[in-house]
Amino acid sequence: MEANEIGYMTIREAGQALRRKDFSPVELTEALLARISAIDSKLHCFITLSADLALRQARQAENEFLSGEERGPLHGIPVALKDLYATRGIRTTCHSAVLKDWIPDHDATAVTKLQQAGTILLGKLGMHEFAFGGPSVDTPFPAVRNPWNTDYIPGGSSSGSGAALAAGLCYGALGSDTGGSIRTPSSHCGVVGIKPTYGRVSRYGVIPLSWSLDHAGPMARSVEDCAILLQAIAGYDSKDPASANVAVPNFRFEIKNGIKGLRIGVPRAHWFDETRGIDPETEKIFNQAIEVLRELGANVVEIDGKPFSLARKANQTILVCEAYAYHEKTYQETPMRFGRAVRRRMLEGAFLSAADYISAQRARAVLNEQICANFARVDVFAVPGTPRPPEAFAKIDPNEQNLRPNFTNPFNLTGLPTISVPCGFTGGRLPAGLQIVAPAFDEPTCFRVAYAYEQATDWRNQRPSL
Amino acid sequence: MSEMTIENLRQMAEQAGLKLGDDELHSLLQGVNRARRQAAELRCFITASDEPASSFLLSSKRLD
Repeated sequence: MEANEIGYMTIREAGQALRRKDFSPVELTEALLARISAIDSKLHCFITLSADLALRQARQAENEFLSGEERGPLHGIPVALKDLYATRGIRTTCHSAVLKDWIPDHDATAVTKLQQAGTILLGKLGMHEFAFGGPSVDTPFPAVRNPWNTDYIPGGSSSGSGAALAAGLCYGALGSDTGGSIRTPSSHCGVVGIKPTYGRVSRYGVIPLSWSLDHAGPMARSVEDCAILLQAIAGYDSKDPASANVAVPNFRFEIKNGIKGLRIGVPRAHWFDETRGIDPETEKIFNQAIEVLRELGANVVEIDGKPFSLARKANQTILVCEAYAYHEKTYQETPMRFGRAVRRRMLEGAFLSAADYISAQRARAVLNEQICANFARVDVFAVPGTPRPPEAFAKIDPNEQNLRPNFTNPFNLTGLPTISVPCGFTGGRLPAGLQIVAPAFDEPTCFRVAYAYEQATDWRNQRPSL
Repeated sequence: MSEMTIENLRQMAEQAGLKLGDDELHSLLQGVNRARRQAAELRCFITASDEPASSFLLSSKRLD
């Protein structure tokens, strides 16, 4: 098998190959480390490589396979982590000068769970600094590039997670999502990512951006792989005050059941009401995806877009207030240790009042009710992954993002599970994503719809030229 | 709601214990005013009886 083919296997395929003894976990890990060494200088996906640990874990997996010990579908599978997951003994930087030398003494719960599932940790991935603000071009670590065109952004804030998967540098990755940070890079890099229901995955050991909006979740190259990863990391954790004490279903149980008769709501009216609206090419790609869902037997209806527009505003207000509160001391003492992009956005929180924050939380309660009321009429919502294609690094305008609608953050505000699945390419060969949103704790329906769409199209087999 | 000026921003920054130069304040002004407009819009949306989404519930203590 050639290096490119090895890099682009799915988790399921790699697991089958390991069990057939096509190659060992050590050979698989060495192949990926070699691929990272050959390619990543162009992409900057990794901030820290944990090659020694990875090879130790691979040898352990190899011994376990030989002795017949079976840990499940992630056993012997190399993965990587957004660099805001605390990893014991491994530098965890949040892509920032503020934490550039921080070595945690504990693992995030999701990291522990991945270890227990037998994964191999390749390293820590680049991101937007502290998961906010935009590509980090003035931090100690270079900004991650989009494998489909390195002149373009990969989306964020889980930039390295999306880019590493698109480049075939790992089989699964963890991201985090406060306003779209799993789904935007998934969309821009042509991979799959799910923001689970708020409380489904422990946030313990994930450096906060905004406590009440932060979600931890997986990213992968296929819907099934994403379900496998979520299965490993989901579940109640007493160390996370927001963790939900609810049963974890088998996320793959109904994944192949199809979507005949499923009711899909599209909040198209005014497309969330921002000045510049949705990019026409992005809307065309989305409309084509909706047609595929119709052909698969779904019934598509329009739903009111107004609450989604206000949700964006509440999300942003809560986010900047909570983010500033978390970082206040560092801003007071050493503000210039933050990069420009994150400083500019996060400091907005210093100039909002307590009443502004509480009003946004009050609006959140009302908007949550209004948005979820749609589930009386439809089973899921479908919206574009992003309002526009990835932009070029050379054309980044920090104010422009506020003139576009935001199709991701209403689902942080409401905590609803939302998956992004690749749904096409622009004329410039940049990927686009389709989001499917389900009621709280109904991730299985997200997976079922996304899987049906994925299998009906060929987008998952497209690869960037590297 | 009146728009903030650079001078307003400077005073508030000082009260918040932030040492920000003129360039920094200028780069923040547009975003701060947008954020304040958004917050004002949300106030128009809620009614007196709407409680915040965040709440303190002793009864939510977990069973494990």
